[in-house]
Amino acid sequence: MIPDLILFFGLALVAVASAIGLLLSRSAVYAALNLILNFTAIAVFYLVLDAPFLALMQVTVYAGAIMVLFLFVIMLLGAEKLSTGPTLPYQRPLSILLAVILLLEAAYALFFRSSPGAPPAPALAGFGSPQAIGETLFSAYLLPFEVVSILLLAAMVGAIVLTKKPRRRG
Amino acid sequence: MDLGLWIEWIVKAIILIVVLLIGFMYLTYMERKFLARFQNRYGPNRAGPVGLLQPMADGIKLIFKEEVIPKQADKLIFILAPVITVIPAWVILAVIPLGSIQLFGRTIDFSLAGDLNVGILYIMAVTSISVYGIVLAGWSSNNKYALLGGIRSSAQMISYELALGLAFVGPAMMASSLSLARIVEAQSKTVWFAVLQPIGFVVFLVAALAEINRSPFDMPEAEQELTAGYHVEYSGMKFAMFMLTEYTKMIVVSVIAATLFLGGYHFPFLTDRWPWLGPLVLFAKVIILLFGIIWVRATLPRVRYDQLMALGWKVMLPAALLNVFITAGVMYVLGMIA
Amino acid sequence: MDEQTAVPFIDVTREVDLAARFPEAVIVDVRKEYEGYIVNRDRLIEVATAIRDELGYDYLSSVTGVDYLPDGVMEVVYHVYKMTGGPGLVFKTQTPRDEAVVPSLVPVYPGADLQEREAWDLLGIRFEGHPDLRRILMWEGFAGYPLRKDWQEAYFEEEGKPFKNRWPDGQVYRIEDKNPYENNVQYPADFIPEEYEPENDALLYDSLKRSIRGRDPELETDVVMVNMGPQHPSTHGVFRIAVALEGEKIVALKPVMGYLHRNHEKIGERNTFLQNMPYTDRLDYLSSLSNNFGYALAVEKLMNVRPPERAEYLRVIMAELTRISNHIFAIGTFLNDLGAYFTPALYAIKERELILDIFEATTGSRMMCNYFRFGGVTRDLPEGIAEKIHRLVYDRLPQKVDELDLYLTNNEIVRSRTEGVGVLTAEQAIAYSAAGPVLRASGVPYDIRRADPYSIYDRFEFDVAVRYHGDTYDRYLIRIDEMRQSLRILQQAIKDLPEGSIQEGKPQYQVRVPAGEAYGRVEGPKGELGYYVISNGKPNPWRYHVRAPSFINLTGYETMCVGNKVADVVAILGSIDIVLGETDR
Repeated sequence: MIPDLILFFGLALVAVASAIGLLLSRSAVYAALNLILNFTAIAVFYLVLDAPFLALMQVTVYAGAIMVLFLFVIMLLGAEKLSTGPTLPYQRPLSILLAVILLLEAAYALFFRSSPGAPPAPALAGFGSPQAIGETLFSAYLLPFEVVSILLLAAMVGAIVLTKKPRRRG
Repeated sequence: MDLGLWIEWIVKAIILIVVLLIGFMYLTYMERKFLARFQNRYGPNRAGPVGLLQPMADGIKLIFKEEVIPKQADKLIFILAPVITVIPAWVILAVIPLGSIQLFGRTIDFSLAGDLNVGILYIMAVTSISVYGIVLAGWSSNNKYALLGGIRSSAQMISYELALGLAFVGPAMMASSLSLARIVEAQSKTVWFAVLQPIGFVVFLVAALAEINRSPFDMPEAEQELTAGYHVEYSGMKFAMFMLTEYTKMIVVSVIAATLFLGGYHFPFLTDRWPWLGPLVLFAKVIILLFGIIWVRATLPRVRYDQLMALGWKVMLPAALLNVFITAGVMYVLGMIA
Repeated sequence: MDEQTAVPFIDVTREVDLAARFPEAVIVDVRKEYEGYIVNRDRLIEVATAIRDELGYDYLSSVTGVDYLPDGVMEVVYHVYKMTGGPGLVFKTQTPRDEAVVPSLVPVYPGADLQEREAWDLLGIRFEGHPDLRRILMWEGFAGYPLRKDWQEAYFEEEGKPFKNRWPDGQVYRIEDKNPYENNVQYPADFIPEEYEPENDALLYDSLKRSIRGRDPELETDVVMVNMGPQHPSTHGVFRIAVALEGEKIVALKPVMGYLHRNHEKIGERNTFLQNMPYTDRLDYLSSLSNNFGYALAVEKLMNVRPPERAEYLRVIMAELTRISNHIFAIGTFLNDLGAYFTPALYAIKERELILDIFEATTGSRMMCNYFRFGGVTRDLPEGIAEKIHRLVYDRLPQKVDELDLYLTNNEIVRSRTEGVGVLTAEQAIAYSAAGPVLRASGVPYDIRRADPYSIYDRFEFDVAVRYHGDTYDRYLIRIDEMRQSLRILQQAIKDLPEGSIQEGKPQYQVRVPAGEAYGRVEGPKGELGYYVISNGKPNPWRYHVRAPSFINLTGYETMCVGNKVADVVAILGSIDIVLGETDR
């Protein structure tokens, strides 16, 4: 139990610190690196929760593919040298409001929805295994799965359209 | 957790690292020697008998080299980048199955992480983050060649990861498992997957060459265009760490190729009789694959960057997809018959 | 070969009389032992256009200036040829020294581009209308024009210098001693190396920006300026290429040279005629014997001597062996530029070594051969070498050339990297004064050995290699073809090698060269190598100019590169095959 706790708090520290680092760092590259660290820490959380498939997917997709593209874009555009643009006037109050709502929801879920003190139900056998996830994904969640893939395709087409200059006539 | 398990893990981890380090050292020697013979030369033959001490000499030289850090470089990342590069190359081998024996009254699995049921995904995950070291090295050096090298390598690795990942799918489907141990077992029951999955095997080999930036896909460090690419500003031990990574990755992909497609630690009759031969059988297969990689480097010119991308997206990816479909179709039909 | 095809291209029906065509603008050059016409500089472009379009001299071989200090005039000398073959035409234009301005011929002959820049750089002749008149071999801000006869070199300059002490009082110091950065690491307090941009590079970058073309109009992208070189593994020496890139695509390119400049021509004008011979070795240091050949031809024209028969054969044998060694090395390094890890290069070097063995045995040196003399050669073939050459050209080399062909020509990657890359059309190649393999790979079958034969080349049976696509692949193939043709010539020459003397008259340390001008050119391995020599009867030449193919072939380099990828810059440069010793002179 003790090693587990040490592991948990160590990871929590890394996750929270990297999240704060992400928000506070002035350089886009450092922010991206902090985010990668954060993703990796969360992947280890999944591992601790007996979900190795999810953990490795987290690393492959988020830390691996998406963040590499992020870094790629930052480097190509030289965005790390750009100064931050003017912020929207209602940005700060809005973010505080949203954060408060999130906290309230979390508190509600914690105190009212689950019975406090009861130990969490142990994971089912085969929970989080590739097989179980595959079966769920391709039966119960088939429609969302397909919709998401079309959404991604649309986003990709949109990105290509956006890079083109508007064609001038004549 | 019992103490025995801990001791076992530590011993295995140390052995793995030592093997990889020595493997790296002597892989450089092997490459130089073979390249030399391909090219009408002798290769290293001064340090020690037939040049066997050459890797030591290189190591000592690199340790005593001055470490230059460019003034305008991003120092933290510049120093971290070689470390970030090395780690994925080392940890990836943890899931490779090496067979097991009975010793001290317990079953000792040679492999470090044992039988992970998502072994292939683990490999995918680690390869997908191995690009960071190169990209960050290229960016932090504040050098146009290095940056071009870094950008090239990220684009290249992302493109070939897809084909690589799809090449993994074939063996996984045939073994009905993502566990490498299951895949080796499945091959020991039938034949090597290189025979059953020829397209997958070729796609894997080509994509792996691109993934580890070896000739003819050594774009990120293309000497003729980018001088040395992402590590142009590195010197001394930091440079040595990039070299360490490059050669370790060669070993790693050879091990993975041998495991997925060439039966891994298993060899018909041989390892069934003497299980402790497992690591040695794998070693022999890896040496043959490494020889192939060196051979390719000695003979082929480099493809151009746009040709590399075209190959990756227009040939490798469709071929890998096709392979998956064919495998699925054949398995389905066979399942129907059975 | 029958008599008719021996000299097939010369058009004897059309008599050139420029002076009659432009009576008020052109006069015949009547100075003793001079030839050609002198054109009024105000009508130069008009006359040059007529020369190109009406008389058919479409190829500008050489442009150079001469400083006639005693007369107070500068003269610009143009040598033009017909791509159909035959002897050339010389025309000159004169301008006062103090206000040396001549209209640029770049609009008529684009190949004048780099050569006019060189004349501006070294002689201070301003070419009005030149699109990009910058210094080329010296750096911007260099004081004076070193080839002018009244230019005094920094430390010493004495009349009749060749035989005087350079430091009369024995006080010697090096320029490095006066360098403020002498220890290499001590910079001035406010000096930041990363931000330092040599002020004179601004002109280069301006020029680079001006010539940007072919950008993608659809995408909004940044153009990145990259300097390849002067320290770069693939520029074949200290050569710098400033490229503007859009992504990986080249949108503009400027070659920057002069890092190896030693003012070969100034040295040549101080040396005696014979002293120059070993200096020519250092031009294209991979093919010193061809360099000797061209210089010997030019001076022999002035002296009016011909070498004896055996010496002629030896010259041809040596020059053709040089061509093979150069081409095999060029192919090796070209493959290296494509990224083949040294393997083809080392196989090529192995054969080259065998040829160098012959050079060493015959001339005493492997690379700096210094073999030719005016009216002969220095040494005869030693015992056994003729047989060795025989074995080499009949057995070993044909086999090895076939082997190269077999392994490289149909390699998938080689073809995909080179086919259609760096195309130079026939018209462009002629316009840019490209020479040698670069010209012939573009579909112009022009080989001086056939088109305007010198020495005894009219006696040998060989074909002019020609390829028609003008791309990098054809420039590679043409070298294979030329090696085969050279082997044919060698096989005939070594078989027919006559006995006899190897030197006309007695070998002399000091030759007497009568006053006059001469232009001697040979088909060097890299292209037309010309020497323009003016003697005023003194022991050293008044003017000594080298028409360097490595230099002039770079005129079309930008055209070949724009639109291709950055990796092709290196491949195309490798296919042009330059040697910096000759480019920078």
